[in-house]
Amino acid sequence: MGKDKSNGTDAAVHNGVKQQPNRQMSTELYDISSKVMLIGDSGVGKTCLLVRFKDGAFLSGSFISTVGIDFRNKVVDVEGTKVKLQIWDTAGQERFRSITRAYYRDANALLLLYDVSNKASFDNIRAWLGEINEYAQEDVVIMLLGNKADMTSERVIRTEDGERLANEYNVAFMETSAKTGMNVDLAFMAVAKDLKMKKTRKPTDPKFSVTDYVNQEKQSVGCCSS
Amino acid sequence: MAENREAEHVSTSESEQSDFIEPEIRRKDTEEPFINVDYEALEEYDSQPSGVIHELVRQCSHDDGKNLSSNDEISGGEEARSESEQASSDMEKVSLKPQELPEEELDETQTAEWRERKKHIFILSESGKPVYSRYGNEDKLVTIMGLLQALVSFVHDSNKDNIRCIVAGDHKFVFLVRDHLLLVGVCCSQDSPHQILHQLSYLYNQILSVLTHTTLNKIFKQRRNYDLRRLLSGAEKFLDNLLHMIDTDASFLLGAVRCLPLDSQIRDQIAQSVGQQAKVKDLVFALILANNQLVTLVRMKKYFLHPMDLHLIINLVNSSESFKAAESWIPICLPKFDSSGYLQAHISYLDEGCQTCLLLLSVDRESFFTLSECKNKILERLNKYNGLRAISDSIANSSYGIRQCGISDLRHFLYKSRSTAQFTSPEIEAPYLKPEEQERLFGLYLYLHHRIHMTDRPLKILYHVGQHETLLGWLTQGFELYAVFGPLVTKPVAIAAINKLLRWIKKEEEHLFILSSVTF
Repeated sequence: MGKDKSNGTDAAVHNGVKQQPNRQMSTELYDISSKVMLIGDSGVGKTCLLVRFKDGAFLSGSFISTVGIDFRNKVVDVEGTKVKLQIWDTAGQERFRSITRAYYRDANALLLLYDVSNKASFDNIRAWLGEINEYAQEDVVIMLLGNKADMTSERVIRTEDGERLANEYNVAFMETSAKTGMNVDLAFMAVAKDLKMKKTRKPTDPKFSVTDYVNQEKQSVGCCSS
Repeated sequence: MAENREAEHVSTSESEQSDFIEPEIRRKDTEEPFINVDYEALEEYDSQPSGVIHELVRQCSHDDGKNLSSNDEISGGEEARSESEQASSDMEKVSLKPQELPEEELDETQTAEWRERKKHIFILSESGKPVYSRYGNEDKLVTIMGLLQALVSFVHDSNKDNIRCIVAGDHKFVFLVRDHLLLVGVCCSQDSPHQILHQLSYLYNQILSVLTHTTLNKIFKQRRNYDLRRLLSGAEKFLDNLLHMIDTDASFLLGAVRCLPLDSQIRDQIAQSVGQQAKVKDLVFALILANNQLVTLVRMKKYFLHPMDLHLIINLVNSSESFKAAESWIPICLPKFDSSGYLQAHISYLDEGCQTCLLLLSVDRESFFTLSECKNKILERLNKYNGLRAISDSIANSSYGIRQCGISDLRHFLYKSRSTAQFTSPEIEAPYLKPEEQERLFGLYLYLHHRIHMTDRPLKILYHVGQHETLLGWLTQGFELYAVFGPLVTKPVAIAAINKLLRWIKKEEEHLFILSSVTF
């Protein structure tokens, strides 16, 4: 599976043009690969976010809680470079914490989710960030995501609260909705882009900042599509 | 303790064994450690008195038994975390006025629906804290849990004995005390106390499978009144599903596994594909399940997979939808294999329809990608040799009907091969198509099994004429057989039929059972 790495020269044709993630190309050929982990409390929508990104669908109906860790691959195109995202979707329940922790250090990026309609899930973010600091690599990309942003009437965590917390810990932040698809692709694409930049940046190029990129690209709830 | 249910039946008699082929029949408990949970075997668990229980009983006896739920347990209420705020506030309410419970607190147990449930299961910690209830919210059942705990500790403390079973009218209260946990079944179903005890030990093992014995020890050593539900959250569905399977699937009663009927050559082919492609360091077991049936099992030479552990694996796959979406990587403890630690399981479905599930169990926590590659290679092999097609065909063409055995008057049977811990039974047909009829049929098997395996008077053969059918149970060294006939069958006819059936099973053996065991 991981053996058929191509050299990336073929793909260099689309220089500089921003590409939509190519869903047909979601297997095999890629230039760089990266491990992304989805973490956060049980029921905040980690699996839904991933399924929205991977298959463009929303898992409605009953809540199926993840047992252990689920694994999915997706290859995305970042300015002509194929980036394979190996995505680990973890179970949020307490008993799995010690187990998922063991995989933090391999991760290049961590998407940390809370549910804007669930205060406890937001309150636990500090504990999650503490764990990340302790177990993850130093240069890991961390993105804080306030999911279920479409649930306006049930919302208890304001966008500003999320922003403030993200600033405090100096991590990228945005609100997402697996249901409407708002910012979902962006979250993963930003991670892919950051990784690509880290790998290909020449010393003279300006440094890429996920936070800035995200702030520039993200949609807010008001103008959210569909 | 064993309740006498004979009054319900028209007559009961035991035939002479000379009518049967096999004259030398001796029951051997030792061969089947998992099916006879005998009380002696439980002594080791019983012999561990706990300080908490002693303390509590002393307290209770001072209180005249009024405050059964005890302060000990209530103090846990304030320690419950914010995530169970609702829960803790409920508990506080109860704790404030244990004797004057407000009406709505009692709702659950007062409803006819709750009371009429045939099999209640309660699991609580040694200090009486609710861990699980099959029906109803545990928080509203603290009083019952406290009562159950007091019963156990009272008997333990005053007589240095262990309470095993109480029979009250139609209800049996069966107690199982294991390390740190107390499991109680309250049933008015057909199950015998012994069978319930066996089921409770399944539930205990399911909890170990999620947490390991080591974790359970550690937690309760640190804090005796820990609310175990915090660690079990999300695992209730495993317990619920296990209980449902126990009530409907004979595998648990028999302590045996059902194999997917397959041509023996194809089965060997599949086993070899798995064995060859999954030759990886630290891989202990590789198995394929389809529709809760075992297709193949490949194991490391030194190790065996106990049927009880296999049932827990089947239950895991059966109760979780999440494996259908992606490759999963989960820790699982197999208590009979090693209750102190986890194996790491790579779980994936091999077909689009998510019927054929491959499990690779390793001791190496880092081997996900290696095993993922193994899975791809196995899949390739299975496709190449049409193994996957054979499996899906077998699933689609339901196994076999009773008519195929060619025995008139025989309605249904269970046959367990004791040496391989596998069993077979035909599809359920008329007159057992309605759910309530199926339940009744299952009840007949429970009864037959109970009579054969009764500890104080075990039987080799039982011929039983019931109101609607005639039953025949037969236990030998090699097999266990439970057969259900129409009501008008005579003893000689039944015996001739059974002999014919045994010949038929022998003929079909290769198709119905996994006879050769493959190792890496």
